[in-house]
Amino acid sequence: MASYTKAAQQWATFARAWYLLDAKMQPPGKIAAATVIRLEGRHKPIYHALSDCGDHVVIINTRHIAFSGNKWEQKVYSSHTGYPGGFKQVTATQLHLKDPTAIVKLAVYRMLPKNLQRRTMMQRLHLFPEDVIPEDIEKNLLQEIPQPRAVPRRLDEYTPEEIAAFPRVWTPPKDFRRK
Amino acid sequence: MAAPSLLRGGLRRLFAGLWGRGWASPPARALREGESGTGGTIEGKIIEDAAAPTPPNPSGQCPICRWNLKHKYDYVDVLLLSQFIRSDGGMLPRRTTGLCLEEHKKIAVCVQMAHRAGLLPNHRPRLPEGHTPKKPKLNRYLTRWSVRSAKPIWKRGPKWCKVPMPVGHPLLKDNVKYTHKFLNFNH
Repeated sequence: MASYTKAAQQWATFARAWYLLDAKMQPPGKIAAATVIRLEGRHKPIYHALSDCGDHVVIINTRHIAFSGNKWEQKVYSSHTGYPGGFKQVTATQLHLKDPTAIVKLAVYRMLPKNLQRRTMMQRLHLFPEDVIPEDIEKNLLQEIPQPRAVPRRLDEYTPEEIAAFPRVWTPPKDFRRK
Repeated sequence: MAAPSLLRGGLRRLFAGLWGRGWASPPARALREGESGTGGTIEGKIIEDAAAPTPPNPSGQCPICRWNLKHKYDYVDVLLLSQFIRSDGGMLPRRTTGLCLEEHKKIAVCVQMAHRAGLLPNHRPRLPEGHTPKKPKLNRYLTRWSVRSAKPIWKRGPKWCKVPMPVGHPLLKDNVKYTHKFLNFNH
């Protein structure tokens, strides 16, 4: 602000930015909440619903999202083709195996405000099942959004020193046989 | 019943004193014969574990109370949970570990959730042949029910009486929370 020209300041304020979000081991609801904020432009102080100030969001690794609870088995996605007898219901597992980006796409679509700008905002959302991104999108990326959920460490990801440093909470009796 | 040279209870690791090779899995109840050319005897030394550090609250009844961990652990704390499980993933009996009943149940629930989240990859049940178990394709966490037992909720109902999808376990509802967010067990 101090040393930028007016033109540069204007450009930086109103330019459309590209954000990256890694969805590996993340719940799709929290991913959607973080992206919807960026797609609407609510993270900017110049936000207004009519001023089309949303940014692009690129979500990678949608194939590796993690649902909490038993939602992979319990959550059901329903749709109707419009024809009689065309009511289709699929579980989250089946939908994910058929199309790995569908769950995140539906989550974002249903979380956006239900107005005419929803479709333009969905056009600014880019989903990729793995971390392979086309080059032209990769060149546009500006910043990475932090992951909403802290991924826990597996037991084999701890170093032996850390495992040894953790105290034994109980002592086994003398005749204990560890299987 | 057992000759002194056999493995007795209390022996944690077999010190391969006279074997030329590296450490192998200890024989359960059999006498391993010496390798040809090494001399023919096996020496087993009982290695005492290092004395455990004194817990902060020695007057507690179970290990969790003694270490002041009563409402402070979760499915993520694999270092703690792995002390109460066997090598194939099952829980150790309460009379061995010394846990009180409610803590034993909580630890069992956390161990189940950790297994389903894939945080204990080396504590798998032993399979008879070389049948490789298939890798789970889907990531999950805080799963209360087993994967095979959960059925799809075909009709969730209207907004005012939706069928909930359970997350986590109500036994852990008294855990210490470091945020002001409400701990939701039904999504």
